[in-house]
Amino acid sequence: MPTIDDFVRPKEWVSDFVADLGKSLRRWGEERYMPVRLQVDEDWQEHKIIGPLLKEVLVDLGLNAAFFPAEAGGTEMPDPMTMCCVIVEELARIDSGFATSCICSIWGFIPALLKPHRNMELCMEFGPKFCGDKLYMGCHAMTEPSSGADVENFGRMRGKTIQTTATADGDHWIINGHKIWPTNSGTVADLYTVVCTTKKGSTDPNDFALVMVPADTEGVSTGNPYQKCGMSADMNTDIWFDHVKVPKRYRLHGPGDDLKYWKRAIAMGNVGSAAMAIGVMKNVYEIIKKWTTERVIAGKPLKEHSICADMLSEIAMLIESTSAWMWQYAREMDRPDIYGWEPWDERFVLKSRGLALHANNAVERACSRAMDFMGSYGYAREFGIEKHWRDQKVIGLWMGGKGLKTLENARYWYDLETL
Amino acid sequence: MAVLYPSQEWCDAWKDAMNNSEAVRENGKNWGADFNGNFVFEIAPGGGLDKTTYLYLEAKAGLCSVARVVDSPIGLDPGFHVTGDYPAFKNVVRGDKDFIEGVVRGLFKVKGDMSKIMRNAKFVRAVANSFTLFEATYLGE
Repeated sequence: MPTIDDFVRPKEWVSDFVADLGKSLRRWGEERYMPVRLQVDEDWQEHKIIGPLLKEVLVDLGLNAAFFPAEAGGTEMPDPMTMCCVIVEELARIDSGFATSCICSIWGFIPALLKPHRNMELCMEFGPKFCGDKLYMGCHAMTEPSSGADVENFGRMRGKTIQTTATADGDHWIINGHKIWPTNSGTVADLYTVVCTTKKGSTDPNDFALVMVPADTEGVSTGNPYQKCGMSADMNTDIWFDHVKVPKRYRLHGPGDDLKYWKRAIAMGNVGSAAMAIGVMKNVYEIIKKWTTERVIAGKPLKEHSICADMLSEIAMLIESTSAWMWQYAREMDRPDIYGWEPWDERFVLKSRGLALHANNAVERACSRAMDFMGSYGYAREFGIEKHWRDQKVIGLWMGGKGLKTLENARYWYDLETL
Repeated sequence: MAVLYPSQEWCDAWKDAMNNSEAVRENGKNWGADFNGNFVFEIAPGGGLDKTTYLYLEAKAGLCSVARVVDSPIGLDPGFHVTGDYPAFKNVVRGDKDFIEGVVRGLFKVKGDMSKIMRNAKFVRAVANSFTLFEATYLGE
């Protein structure tokens, strides 16, 4: 009888080690997270339950160290996109908010972390903290009160809406600005990667800057967490930078290269979003399969009714199609030697928006249809679907939301010139 | 004097190299503390090796107590069983290939708790790097 492990996953690209690592995460999730999953939604402010669980995954299971160089205490795993997809899928199956918090710990550091654009100096400074015995978490501070999608829409907006500034002052950068919504803000982050401009209003790519700011730097303050419809394990607050002074070397690369390699992080965010949606859909599949097998209507299991089989078939197709697409793009990102373009290529950012959009629509549809066939059990917390239904909406709203994903996907495939 | 890989003499040299390596000792403090940190390496024939060869390693708290050639893994109780062909192992022993990369890329199959390898990657790498601390010769060359 098929299980979630029978959905598309190319074994020639995903080694046994990586697959088994995923199974380790699954076992951990079943033993440690599932017993408290219902309580996590109420833990959105203080993370009393979530905090220790983050340490178990990121420190005790070694995920925070996965891509850091060996010299900094890391595991230096190859094929980062493939590894991320496996990790994110397994964790999202348990709780997509928790998966988000885990993977975003290093997301902002990607432009400095991965080869061939690794900043070894910054890896040696911050790597031992990420790879140590205490939990150390990163936050990619990108979105601002007036815009999030506009910051990411570099092809058209060219950074002109970025209000957070990095001003050179001798051997330091002075950061001023206000960010809102980033994952792992509030009391979670130890280190921010801050998206800045060195000249407000500029459309020059050289003025786009990524600067590391330790969370305990004077002038950094955060607000209270926002209570969201879901994803409670992902803490989101305001962050204010008031004349924050950091060493010059904390800029990840420099003019031009910051933006160039940041695009890899954005593309990884798109592909990773698909992995997250797949993880959620796989748990929805498990729940609805059990439900429609055990629920007997008119003398036969619910799944044996044709109208129900239509829903079940659609959910399976949504998982298969999204998985196939995601694995192909993960492979393209990990193997530029085969596919011919670098993982920071702007074309990849654009076309991976299509994958992310498809995944958003797929998981929204899967959750909604599953709930339709569970009736009142679908909207009751104990039965597992309504949490995914609330959480998945957040996946659809990030990475520029459906609007930007639609535009950039069309821009790539149809050579749009004004949108 | 160079020792042939694989052989009991090579295992003896490897054990000495590990136990004299500060990197192994320092990074292996927690290895095997609450789990079985012993290895069987199953080397498949090819590249000059004409039959499957098994090496057994007992390691705990940064020290190697046993490194030997065994006829088979029957009766042993390793926490990790690593399988690969001779050319792949040779590349790692020579220092030409990173062991963890080889595992992740599927050149080696590993049975065991992957999260322990992830968490103790520095120790695993230090053990792999200890191969290069003594001279070896290889079959088929």
